[in-house]
Amino acid sequence: MEALERYLEAVGRHLRGGRREDIVAELRANLEAQLDDKQAELGRPLTTQEAEAWLKQLGAPLQMAARYQAQRYLIGPEIFPIYWLVMERALGWAAVIYAVVSLVLLATETPNAQSVVDALVRLPGVLLWVAAWVTLIFALIEYGAARDPQKWQGLAEQAACFPKAEFAARQRSGRHGKRRRTLAHAVAEAVFGFLFLVWLLLIPQHPWLMMGPGAAVWKALPYALAPVWMTFYWWVVAAHAVQLAWLCVELARGTWQKKRGLRLVVVKAIELIPINVLLYAPGQVLLVLRDPGRDGARLSATLNGWNEGLHKAVLVIAILVAAQIVWTLVNLVWMRGRGEAK
Amino acid sequence: MTLMENLFENLRLELRRGCLTLAVLLQLREEHYGYTLRKALAVRGMEIDENTLYPLLRRLEAQGLLTSEWREEEKRNKRFYRLSAEGAPVLELLLAEWQSLNAAIETIRQQGKGE
Repeated sequence: MEALERYLEAVGRHLRGGRREDIVAELRANLEAQLDDKQAELGRPLTTQEAEAWLKQLGAPLQMAARYQAQRYLIGPEIFPIYWLVMERALGWAAVIYAVVSLVLLATETPNAQSVVDALVRLPGVLLWVAAWVTLIFALIEYGAARDPQKWQGLAEQAACFPKAEFAARQRSGRHGKRRRTLAHAVAEAVFGFLFLVWLLLIPQHPWLMMGPGAAVWKALPYALAPVWMTFYWWVVAAHAVQLAWLCVELARGTWQKKRGLRLVVVKAIELIPINVLLYAPGQVLLVLRDPGRDGARLSATLNGWNEGLHKAVLVIAILVAAQIVWTLVNLVWMRGRGEAK
Repeated sequence: MTLMENLFENLRLELRRGCLTLAVLLQLREEHYGYTLRKALAVRGMEIDENTLYPLLRRLEAQGLLTSEWREEEKRNKRFYRLSAEGAPVLELLLAEWQSLNAAIETIRQQGKGE
């Protein structure tokens, strides 16, 4: 029957994977048997209209084909409550951060009604971006969960981390016990990590993002940052990008709840690079004069004092970071000894 | 469809979902192909749409609860399904669960009548 053939062909078009022909053949056998019964009951073949009405009852070909596919979600019911929680918080924080940044921007400019309206008009776009990122991250998690359900078993329970259970776990593990990272925490880290990266990248063009109204004061000073600070800046950006990428990989692989000892050590080690860039700046010069010809004679002694002080401060920071790395490593070894760092 | 009718329909579908699997597994203690299985279930009061039953058979087979084979019958190739060796104990467990649920519901219902 032509109508049945057309229906089966349409179902086949919507099926994916290597089982397409097998499914269509089975469906054909079942529907042909059903058709035989119908025709035997009527004592005549079905008319085209009757056949089309019958096929319509079976459901649209797309619907029929969809029933044969594994059920898929962009964000499934198990993860959805956490997604919603993170979304609410991310949007709330994004709105607060945006409001603060806009207020600082308005304070540094000559405020007028148009700039206030512009800031308000931009807000939905910013929130949409945040929502898109949160959704993308959770969709990746859902994809990982669908591919490897064993690894993601009990995801909601682990992610929700009921306060009482968490408290009891902490009580059991004593004062050294640390809270395991929840999924909500890990996703929030990724979202805010991304926002922080964007913020970092905007700083060279918009210094007020870091200094606020102080940016205008800084411009008026006779001192400027030495070129080595740009190298430092790009290393900071790279260190943060590595940290963010690592977290995204952990989320995609479903290993976000594991202890972060190794990541902390690596991140701290990467952080040492920009600090060393400053520590070994040519001539230990971190500040220069904007106009050496004009201010050289008057301010060179002060400038040398500033550079010496800054160099010592960087040295102290480098020692502190190195000590943190050693401390993290000692903790890792100690926890492994207790069999906790798995 | 009114709001209450819609609500009832959703609850009815939810209630039926698990029962369909149980009915299919029970019926497939005898070998059937899709259409005869549907007819056998309908005769016993369990009507199932084609677009629910046929994909369900595939899923149960993929889960190892059913086995299937292509065979010719009445000059047509058909895929016959049967409860698998792994599916039999699962069916027993599901049946016990069903009976326990049924008994619990009945007890609760009777209790409500008594009060």
